[in-house]
Amino acid sequence: MSSVLEVEGVAKYFGGVRALDGVSLKVPEKGLVGLIGPNGSGKTTLFNVVTGFYVPDKGEILFRESRDLVRIDGLNPNEVFRRGIVRTFQIPRLFNSLTVLENLLVTPLGQRGESPARALFRSSWSKQEMELARKAVELLKMFGMLHYAHSKVSELSVAHIKMLETIRGLMTPAKLYLLDEPAAGVDYSMARKLFTYVKRLRDELGLTFFIIEHRLEILMEFVDYVYVLHNGKLLSEGKPQEVVSDPKVVEAYIGA
Amino acid sequence: MIDLIGFAISWLTLFGIYAILSLTLNLESGTAGITNFGKVVFYGVGAYVAATITTYMTLILNGVDVGETPPYDVRGIVLLGELGSRNPLLNVGLLVLSVVVAFAAAGALGYILSYPIIRVGPAFVGFTLLSFGELLRVFLQHYEPVGGNKGLMAIPTPFGWVADSRLREVAYLGLVMGMLAVTYIVTYRLVNSPLGRTLRAVRDDEIAALCLGKHVPRIKATTLFIGSGFAGVAGVLLAYYLTSVNPNMFVPAVTFNVWAMIILGGFGNLKGSLIGAAVVTFVDRALTFVTPQLGVTLISPDYLRWVIVGLLIVVVLMVSPRGILPEEPIKTPALDIVSDELGGESK
Repeated sequence: MSSVLEVEGVAKYFGGVRALDGVSLKVPEKGLVGLIGPNGSGKTTLFNVVTGFYVPDKGEILFRESRDLVRIDGLNPNEVFRRGIVRTFQIPRLFNSLTVLENLLVTPLGQRGESPARALFRSSWSKQEMELARKAVELLKMFGMLHYAHSKVSELSVAHIKMLETIRGLMTPAKLYLLDEPAAGVDYSMARKLFTYVKRLRDELGLTFFIIEHRLEILMEFVDYVYVLHNGKLLSEGKPQEVVSDPKVVEAYIGA
Repeated sequence: MIDLIGFAISWLTLFGIYAILSLTLNLESGTAGITNFGKVVFYGVGAYVAATITTYMTLILNGVDVGETPPYDVRGIVLLGELGSRNPLLNVGLLVLSVVVAFAAAGALGYILSYPIIRVGPAFVGFTLLSFGELLRVFLQHYEPVGGNKGLMAIPTPFGWVADSRLREVAYLGLVMGMLAVTYIVTYRLVNSPLGRTLRAVRDDEIAALCLGKHVPRIKATTLFIGSGFAGVAGVLLAYYLTSVNPNMFVPAVTFNVWAMIILGGFGNLKGSLIGAAVVTFVDRALTFVTPQLGVTLISPDYLRWVIVGLLIVVVLMVSPRGILPEEPIKTPALDIVSDELGGESK
C-alpha cells in the first residue's frame, strides 16, 4: 500500500541533545499506526518536526498530495495544516473561553465569514455556517458529546477535552491525523471508546492515523503497525504482537 | 444655574467620540487579544488629518495663498474664522473627505506598525505602539506646517454655517451619534461572525490557532486596520468638536482612559464598552462642569478624574471581576441548529 507520510533520516538536535537521530519511517494510507517509546525518546519531537514546529537538522519529510510525495519540512505549522495534516497535543490546546461547539466551528479553513468584508453581511456566510454546524452536531452525536455543545471548554473533564481535541481535527478534510497521547488521563472505558471511534473513522472514511500513546494495553489492541523510538532512534517496528515480544523493546521500557 | 441641556449635549458628544474608541479597542484587545497601548496614535492621526485637510483646503479653495498666510499664522486663524461659516457645501464636503482619508491613513498605519512586530509577542506590540505615539507627538511639536506646539486652531466645522449655536451643537451631536451607530453595527457584526470566533480563538491560544491553519499575524493586523481606522474617525470628530488640535492632547493617558472604559464595562462585551465610555466621560464632564460652580479651586478636576476612575475600577472589579457585563457567546445561525437538535433529543 502506498504511504501518505514518509520520514527519511530525520535528525533534530537541541544543543548536545540528539532528540531525533536519523529516524526513517512510513505511514501507509488508511493506516492506524502507533508510535511508542519511553519518556524522552523523541516521539513528540517527531510530531513537532512533521507539523512544522521545528525544522529538522537533517533528513526529509514527504507527504502525499494527490499522487506525488512532496517535501513538507521547513513549512510553517499553518501551511502544513493546509496540506492536510492535523495534530493534537499531549497537553490539549483547545480554546478555553469558547464553547465546545465554537471550538469545532472555528476549525475549518476557507470560511467565508472569516473575511472582514464578508463578516459584515450575514447572508454571505450563514449558509456555510449552518452546514458546518450540522457537521459539528453529527460529530458530537457520534462521540456522545452533543449535550456539552454549549459548555465552555474550561468546564469539561479531561477525558472530554481529549475527545474534543480529536473531534476538532475531524471538522477539516484532513488526510492524516497525528494524535499525541489521546488516552492520557482518560479512564479505561472512555479511552477504549475513543479508540473504537478512531478505528471506525479509519474504516468508514478512510482516514489515516498516527498515534503516540503510552497506554500500550489499549493501543496494541487497535493499531495495525507500531514504531518504537528510543533515544531518538528507531528501535523496533512491526505488528503489535511482534513489537511487544521484541526483547529490545522490553529492555527499553523496563530498563536493564 | 447649571446649564443642564448644555451639559447633556457636551457629555453625549464626548461619550460618542470615546465610545467609538472603546468599542474598537474592545474588538482589538478584548476579542482578539492584541495589547494595543497606542490607541491614541490613530486617534491623533485622525484629528490631525481632519485639521490639516480642513484648514488648508478652506483657505486654498477661497483663493488664499497658504504660502503667505498659513492656517497656523494669526492672520490665517482670523481668515479661517471668517471663511468657516460661508459655504455649507464646502464644510460638509471637507468632513466627508476627512473621514475617508483619516480612516485610510490611521488604518494603514495600524496595519504597518503592527504586522512586523506581531510575531514577536503581545507585549512588544503594546510597547511599540505606545512608544510610536510618543515619537509622533514629539515630531508634531516641532513640525511647523501643522502648527508645531500650538497646533491648528479655528478649524471650520461641518455645521459652521448654522447660525444658532445650540442648534449647531445638536446637529453635531447627531453626526457623532450616527458615526457611533455605524461603529457599533460594524463591531457587533464582526464579533458575531466566524471572524469573531477566530479572533477569540487566536486570543485563547495563538499556537493552536496557527496549527489550525489560521494566519495569525495577518488576522491581527487586519483587526488593527479596522480598529485604527475607526479611531481615526473618532479623531476627526474630536478635531471638529474642539475646533483645534495640538500635540499635547494626544498623550498616552488618553489610551489608558479608553482601557479604563473597557475594563469597567467588561472585556469582550461591546455593550459594556458603551457603558464604560458613558461612565468615564460622565465623570469627566461632571467634574469640569461642577467644580468651578462649587467654588472648589484647590483641586484641579483633572486630578480628581483619575482618582475617581481608578476607584471605580477597583470597586467594580471587586464586585464583578469581569467588568459590568461579561463576555457573551458568539451569536451565529449555528446556535439555532444545535438548539433544535438538543430540543429534539430531549423529547
